[in-house]
Amino acid sequence: MSDTSLFIRKATGLVRSWSVFDAFIYAFFSINLITLGLYIFSQMYYLQGGLVPTLVISSLFILFEVIIYAAMIAVMPRSGGDYVWQSRVLGGGVGFVLAVTGWWFILWLWVPLYSDMLRHIVITPILGILGAQEAALWFGQTNIGLFVTALIMLVLVTIYIAAGMKWYARVQKFCFWGGMLGMLVVIVMLLTGSPEAFKAGLETNATALFGAQPGVYDATLAAGQAAGATLPLTGGAIGAIFLAMPFIVFFNLWPNWGATLYGEVRGATDFKRNFWGMAAALIGTVVVGIILLYAIAHTIGWNFYVNANGAYWNFAWGYTDQPAPLPVWPYPALLAVFLTTNRVIQLIVIVLMSLWWFGWSGTVFLSSTRVIFAAAFDRLLPEKVAEIEPRTRTPLYALVLMVVPSIIVSYLFAYNLFNFRSLTLDSTLVIAVTYLGTTIAAILLPYLKKDLYNASPIAKYKILGIPLITLAGVIFAAFLLFLLVEWIFDPFLNAPGLYGIGLQNKNSIYFMAGNYILALAIYLGFKYYRKRSGIDIEKVHKEIPVE
Amino acid sequence: MTTIFFATDVHGSDICWKKFINAGKFYEADVLILGGDMTGKAIVPIIDQGGGRYRAVLLEQEFLLDTEVETEEMVKRIKSRGYYPYRLAQDELAELNQSPDKVHDLFLQEALKTAEQWMAYAAEKLSGTGMRVYAAPGNDDQFELDAVIRKSDVVTLVEGQVIELDKDHEMISSGWSNHTPWHTYREETEDQLAARYEVMITQLKNPKNAIFNIHVPPYASNLDEAPELDENMRPKYAGNSLKPVGSTAVRAAIEKSQPLLGLHGHIHEGRGSSRIGRTLCINPGSMYEQGTLLGALVKLGREKIEHYVLTQG
Repeated sequence: MSDTSLFIRKATGLVRSWSVFDAFIYAFFSINLITLGLYIFSQMYYLQGGLVPTLVISSLFILFEVIIYAAMIAVMPRSGGDYVWQSRVLGGGVGFVLAVTGWWFILWLWVPLYSDMLRHIVITPILGILGAQEAALWFGQTNIGLFVTALIMLVLVTIYIAAGMKWYARVQKFCFWGGMLGMLVVIVMLLTGSPEAFKAGLETNATALFGAQPGVYDATLAAGQAAGATLPLTGGAIGAIFLAMPFIVFFNLWPNWGATLYGEVRGATDFKRNFWGMAAALIGTVVVGIILLYAIAHTIGWNFYVNANGAYWNFAWGYTDQPAPLPVWPYPALLAVFLTTNRVIQLIVIVLMSLWWFGWSGTVFLSSTRVIFAAAFDRLLPEKVAEIEPRTRTPLYALVLMVVPSIIVSYLFAYNLFNFRSLTLDSTLVIAVTYLGTTIAAILLPYLKKDLYNASPIAKYKILGIPLITLAGVIFAAFLLFLLVEWIFDPFLNAPGLYGIGLQNKNSIYFMAGNYILALAIYLGFKYYRKRSGIDIEKVHKEIPVE
Repeated sequence: MTTIFFATDVHGSDICWKKFINAGKFYEADVLILGGDMTGKAIVPIIDQGGGRYRAVLLEQEFLLDTEVETEEMVKRIKSRGYYPYRLAQDELAELNQSPDKVHDLFLQEALKTAEQWMAYAAEKLSGTGMRVYAAPGNDDQFELDAVIRKSDVVTLVEGQVIELDKDHEMISSGWSNHTPWHTYREETEDQLAARYEVMITQLKNPKNAIFNIHVPPYASNLDEAPELDENMRPKYAGNSLKPVGSTAVRAAIEKSQPLLGLHGHIHEGRGSSRIGRTLCINPGSMYEQGTLLGALVKLGREKIEHYVLTQG
């Protein structure tokens, strides 16, 4: 009933804290080693900073992001996340533009990226193992295969949204355990295998399943070298490691993805639970990632793995007319199961590993739905978009706003129109700008919203008299600004550049500028329209003065 | 036409109550409606350490208060968060720790004392302004609260009543809810709720132009999504799993009568608006612990809503 510091009575909503382990699972899936991680590692083949130190150092910076988000949740829990935090501290216009671009518009570009991973991690390997070689290669190699995969992905996401988070949260937990089992098997296979066995297995399986030519191992090495594959596993100059970070954050910048859902924070203990749910996921991912990378190096051979990636992307990005000798994306789990010729074992492992994709992909539009609804409640979008279709319990209009543009962007990406495939890192840049908005709000919070900050459980955390949230904010803001400068003012501005999305890529700049202009136009348009109807949008986020 | 400002679930937060009373002037509203759950959920003991010094623990932070100024500042902070500050000696604290009945009585005493202060504040700010204020205590509010509101000249208790807001619009109100896992004061079965609403609805001249000010939101309206709990009252799946917990009786009443507007609360994280047929249902949500007054500003038209917006004051 009570202790000496607080008496609580019976009242609605007084619940105990959620499990840190559950929070860990969702954050662990958000920085998804198998989907996001392996996908971006493979594209980094030409960089010179060691992958392991890049992973470790970037994650150290991202720990400050975790502090910021855990702190903002402690100050304003269950409030709607970035949109509300930024709106309250920086103003409604800034909050709207940064939230809709980072949590909605840019997700249109994530759809073909998720789809590219779906075909490489799930569809192509499974079809190949089942003996459907032609179908496997159609999905894995052709533009229409990618576009059809994007349509499949959108159907799946629509089902997820219609079924609701209550159902999907359960799916995610199942996928976590199944995916971890698959990962364990892959790591054990790689640690107990040998380079010789792998080479033999590759020759046997790649030719049988995917129609590779005999001698695929050596041909891959040669194609990779021709592509300029150099990425070291460890080492690299500190400058090269920092230059690799704008790539790797495509994968590990997201431990806070589901964080805005976290509930009531009653004290420092809950703040620490939020922090550890996300931080443990980040640290755990780094540890598992390093083990996997060393396991890859042990049996597949780091040199082969990097060259295979170089050979694959060099052709996929159109830098050579010569298709990669290995006709499919060099997916480490697929390469691991080449150590056996037992199709049942191969299938079981790949299916288990595919759970990493299924347990993660459902959240693609989760935040978009929330932002669309929040904007509609603030009357910055039509009321209709927040409607739930009664029969299917689906936000039909919000889905249209997410799915239709995604189909268009997926088409552009699949057929590489306007060089859309070069825009991969735009997906990260735009969200990083949104995070920068929240980070600036976090830095200023103790000074601009003193009462709010002082009434929160994080008010006691100070270092040398400076609020922890401000200090963490300054460090993380510096990191984000470094990333933004690198992305935009690419150190190798001569085409194609290091990241390919900077000032040298006009399509990238037009695409991103288009996102922000659209957001600003919606904000100003609705603000004007509502004013004419008698609603002062400016007042929505203003604090009522107490006389 | 009448403009109403609606807020709910302030749960003892001094700052939210004061913002609510000042909201009419700020948003240029004609009527203020409070949807229930006015009382706080916790008492923070401020323990006498002797020599004019006190000790308190707020949000797991310990504060040693050496001066009366510091102690008063702490009282203000506790009240802003919606908790009741209570100065006491070590002996009384030990006694309270041994006696749930005495803690219950203390909660009632502090809730009523705060309510009296709130009514006095409302009178000070709004007497003679013509601003009307309506309140219907919610399921978390003790029954004794009603008497305090009844005594107010400015705030009108509207539980179970039909109120004429203007010549076109009437309002029915109830703070009762369906059963919750916390067994609070004003809970009953869905059938009993339906009967409660029916008594009021039958008195309405024109239900289609009425406002249903009912604390609990309609079932499956998207305004009633709360974290699914396990048997230990712990949110499942880190709070990712939400489920509808609203009232089927409220939903049925709205579906049948199709009033102009439904004003709801109860589920703090259920902020939003949705339509059930032609009825616009609103739950502004609650962020009382942060001292933020979430609300809804609605301009009523004849047979329609002229416009509305959710606010974060």
